[in-house]
Amino acid sequence: MTVVVEATDLVRHFGDVVAVDGVDLQVEEGEVFGFLGPNGAGKSTVVRMLTTLLHPTSGSARVGGCDVISQAGEVRRMIGVALQDAAIDPLMTGSELMRLQAVLHGIPRSVIKTRGPELLERVGLTAAVDRRVGTYSGGMRRRLDLALSLVHEPPILFLDEPTTGLDPTSRQALWEEVRRLNDELGTTVFLTTQYLEEADQLAGRIAIIDAGKLVREGTPTVLKSTVGAPTLRVEVGPEHVETTTTVMTGFGAERPSREGRVAIGLDEGAARVADVVRALDAAGVTVIHLELDAPSLDDVFAHATGRRLEGSGDEQ
Amino acid sequence: MSTVTVSTGLGHAGAVSLAVCVRGLQRLRARPVLLIPTVVMPVFFVISFTGAFSSLTRIEGYGTSNIFNWMAPYAALQGAVFAGVGGATSAADDLENGFFDRLLLTPGSRLPILIGTIGYSAVRSFIPTTGVLAVAALGGLQLPGGVLGLVSLFAATAGMAVVFCLFGLTIVYRLRTLRSMMIVQVVGFSSMFLSIGQVPIEFLDGWLHHAARLNPLTNVLRLSRQGFVGELSWDLTWPGLVAIAAMTLVGGLSALRALMKMAP
Repeated sequence: MTVVVEATDLVRHFGDVVAVDGVDLQVEEGEVFGFLGPNGAGKSTVVRMLTTLLHPTSGSARVGGCDVISQAGEVRRMIGVALQDAAIDPLMTGSELMRLQAVLHGIPRSVIKTRGPELLERVGLTAAVDRRVGTYSGGMRRRLDLALSLVHEPPILFLDEPTTGLDPTSRQALWEEVRRLNDELGTTVFLTTQYLEEADQLAGRIAIIDAGKLVREGTPTVLKSTVGAPTLRVEVGPEHVETTTTVMTGFGAERPSREGRVAIGLDEGAARVADVVRALDAAGVTVIHLELDAPSLDDVFAHATGRRLEGSGDEQ
Repeated sequence: MSTVTVSTGLGHAGAVSLAVCVRGLQRLRARPVLLIPTVVMPVFFVISFTGAFSSLTRIEGYGTSNIFNWMAPYAALQGAVFAGVGGATSAADDLENGFFDRLLLTPGSRLPILIGTIGYSAVRSFIPTTGVLAVAALGGLQLPGGVLGLVSLFAATAGMAVVFCLFGLTIVYRLRTLRSMMIVQVVGFSSMFLSIGQVPIEFLDGWLHHAARLNPLTNVLRLSRQGFVGELSWDLTWPGLVAIAAMTLVGGLSALRALMKMAP
């Protein structure tokens, strides 16, 4: 397979702050690549460098075979970009923005006359096309941003946290469109997200970034398998946390968990759950809640960094 | 990998400039309130200055006895400064809300973005100039220089809008915030006041005289005013055009440099 996005020892400083610290990654043609990390991990900075909006402090990157610094124009011709904050002028209408985007990318007027309405229909915005974008909902803005990024039919698409702040229905609709682009058109998608589920659902391969460094990379299945044992989480009263920890660590290594819960990687899997419960009972611990999870990307993140992803507690 | 066929070169650059300019006008149409400072302030200037100093032009040396003929070009140039600042303000707005990234993702050169923005400012300057002329006409404005006098005024105001837009863009691209526009407004007003806006240069004493003599806006004011105080002359035309060209060149290079530094 051809590598279409490649970063080598990519570094970016903002004054004394090291936002990206030696990132190496490769994305192959036709794959959906998930770039997962918490807020402030450096995801958007990497995307801005790969999309020519920001120069690296050091290191190099190539997109579509072209260097992002010396061949920036060529790179921009091959990529579609939907940035974190949908870069949409609220005073313009959807159709005005579509025409502007087409001109910016040198698409002939005759082509955009048919392609523009097609794209807007695909993202379900035909009825709102003559309304000012300021009247759109967050989901509509994101969908319009996606349609705009596709106007020149780019082979590589960068989506920077495309579903942040969207309701579940809008999120689902956007996921379906990303899947369709990848399946039907073969578009390579570089997707940054802080949502575990999103990365798990969409990405064929995932890189996890934390504090500017890549901490894990691989397919979701392989990454999860590296964590090993399933996670057993037990919720107890605050007076029993210490005893519970002592008892449970006899069955596996402790894993990061929310306050009031104790989590371990259960070494021999589900078969040992009954033994754990019996041991806790014998120690006089009253269990409020107990759950056993197969390894998740959150476990992968926790395993790599010692922390949970922000907001992932809701998914536990 | 598939390839994307798009137009490039000068045609594309021209189309991008035009699209950026048209977008500015579309924004004005969507929110006409953006025009208030551009139109209301210079109209207010022409009304207040002609009212307060209505007898001033009876003094020998103004070249006209009609205060509207003296003040209207000055107020129109003030409006052009606002129009220029307005163009730079829209760029600052784009930087703050992220829209500027969309423009920067254009495959071609950055120059058409700059040209489109100053083009928008130049077109926008026609609105306050027309407003000032309309109000002044109601007060008795005359045009001894004929149509060429009008052409000269519109050329000067468009040039001023371009110059102050470029100056504003230089500041905006460096500071990346809407609040930086205050600097441009202060410089715009100060430089207008330190010229021959209110009285002829012969009436200015001391450092004010020297400041007005060295101020390139003095030549721009002479260019814009000549058709309202008499016939047009080449001696008053070329220094104004040179002043605008020089300020545009310096402003253009510094704005482009700031843009390239911000978004290489």
